[in-house]
Amino acid sequence: MLRESAKAFEYDLEMAAVGDPSIDIGIPGGNLLLRFVDSILTDSEPLGRLHSEIIAELGPEALLDAASVFGNFEMMNRIADASGIPIPAAGIEREKALVELLDLSGFLRH
Amino acid sequence: MFDFVGSPAPIRPDLRYSYINTWAHFARPGPTLDSGQRLALLAAARRGTAASRAGDEWFGPAVADLADTLYAKPAAMNGAIVRTAADEAGDPTTVEVIGLVSMLAAVDGTHRALGARQEPLPDPVSGQPTGNITAGLKRRRTHIPVPPGPIPVVLDLLPDEGAAFQALFGPQYMTGWEMALDDFRRQPGLNRAQIEIVSSRTSMHNECFY
Repeated sequence: MLRESAKAFEYDLEMAAVGDPSIDIGIPGGNLLLRFVDSILTDSEPLGRLHSEIIAELGPEALLDAASVFGNFEMMNRIADASGIPIPAAGIEREKALVELLDLSGFLRH
Repeated sequence: MFDFVGSPAPIRPDLRYSYINTWAHFARPGPTLDSGQRLALLAAARRGTAASRAGDEWFGPAVADLADTLYAKPAAMNGAIVRTAADEAGDPTTVEVIGLVSMLAAVDGTHRALGARQEPLPDPVSGQPTGNITAGLKRRRTHIPVPPGPIPVVLDLLPDEGAAFQALFGPQYMTGWEMALDDFRRQPGLNRAQIEIVSSRTSMHNECFY
């Protein structure tokens, strides 16, 4: 969905940045949002500093959106893996390049 | 309730009301558990103490392992944990636990992301479990019985849990109508591409292909 939406906004998406935030992802504020998620889950840098940067660059409403999307996927990831809903073989085949690019093969084990 | 004390950003009313509704849902008797049982499980999962409470509370060690792992270590979740819990407590209770703990992770996750103070769990409401369980569902290469369809229906063995789960999508992420638009944009707020950066990176950390 990231690829499709980046295309819709005519961004020059660099998908590898999702796995390596040191790469420029090519979307306004995108690397800041990657750092935001990392800060929440790994304490990679002070969360308050990321809040200030997001508010300055994208606005306070964007900070709330980012936080609630994070919350939503904390839920969706748990429900997907606990339910064991299968990923269709066609979907894995279609996303083969992405699986290799981001080294996702281990994620298919659940 | 849901004042998000400490948040540097204002809270949209739709998000606040959806979380108030989620709390009311937690406080009501569920399909297999009464309100006190639901809230005892959620409190233990939140504190990471379900394993040490097993036997003292209504749940056994397998359900405790499911709750603790699901809340705190989602990347460690696997079919063996779920099936062991189902052997101990039955499929409907296992699905109820999965739904409750996952929804709690959502609400607590949003608070954590905002640096806001965690919302205290609600007080229980009296009443017996509803017994509202869909008949005839089976596992479809899944860990739990599910109806055919995409991920939004996976909790529909328990229609009330499924509805509470689905009600969170719109305020937290996008409504079904908004999801159909690759160029969706909250105004003011993030556009769809920026939203999907957050969802993708979160899923990377949680080691979830979805």
